[in-house]
Amino acid sequence: MYLCHYAETEVGGFGITETDDLLLVTDFQLVNQVCSWAHVAFEDESVADFFDHQVDEGRTPEEFGRIWIHTHPGDSPWPSNVDEETFERVFGRADWAVMFILARGGDCYARLRYNHGPKAEFEIPVGVDYSLPFAGSDHESWEREYRQHVLPEEDLRFTLSPLAEELVSAEDLELVDDWPAGWFDEPDNNLLTEEDFYETDE
Amino acid sequence: MKVIVINNDGGGFADYQEHPDGTTVATLFDHVCPERKPADYYIRVNRHPCTSDQVLQEGDRISITPSKIEGALR
Repeated sequence: MYLCHYAETEVGGFGITETDDLLLVTDFQLVNQVCSWAHVAFEDESVADFFDHQVDEGRTPEEFGRIWIHTHPGDSPWPSNVDEETFERVFGRADWAVMFILARGGDCYARLRYNHGPKAEFEIPVGVDYSLPFAGSDHESWEREYRQHVLPEEDLRFTLSPLAEELVSAEDLELVDDWPAGWFDEPDNNLLTEEDFYETDE
Repeated sequence: MKVIVINNDGGGFADYQEHPDGTTVATLFDHVCPERKPADYYIRVNRHPCTSDQVLQEGDRISITPSKIEGALR
């Protein structure tokens, strides 16, 4: 809920569950992602790192790789065509998976899909189990996690390659058009003379 | 040769598997994910990107993880 309201972008990650209840999400983990207000794309390398880390922690993929969670900054939690395509292509090969979408307006959507045996899918109710212990809110830590993993698209231009940065700079320096016409046609204009160096000494 | 394979397809597993010496990444992928396209996955060996013809070694850790996960508002 915090991340859904923290930024103006979509944000996504994986729900981590307990072994004895694979639909009880006890943690949510972000992976590196590029987001805008209407789109979120996970970085493949980061997803692989997440899987490796979770396995190192002793978890199995069904405990951390089956519940795909992302937010919608608006009021609608309904899955888009892109959501459906990802759910089919990426999670359609696992025995089962859940697509969970939380809209900023507070509504949410969850669909459980069985891909093995008698295939079936249906929306499932979502609730908070207040009987379980909860460590408490930690906005600082959540904010840190967001900043560590989420790259809003408007920030992209500041992380471009050096060449791209040069192009951005050149674009910003359109004032060169205001230089006097013919300036570059006069080769002497670009040369410093000996007087230029000693001018301040006089 | 024993290698560790991490795979989310099917039941999903992260466990040791026995494969013949000389097994390549492509061969292992075909074995673990039959009828799947490698392009739909991100495959690493010992946490590093790999080529399809890379020959696996005893104790290698191969992860086959989902790729191009994206969502959108509309």
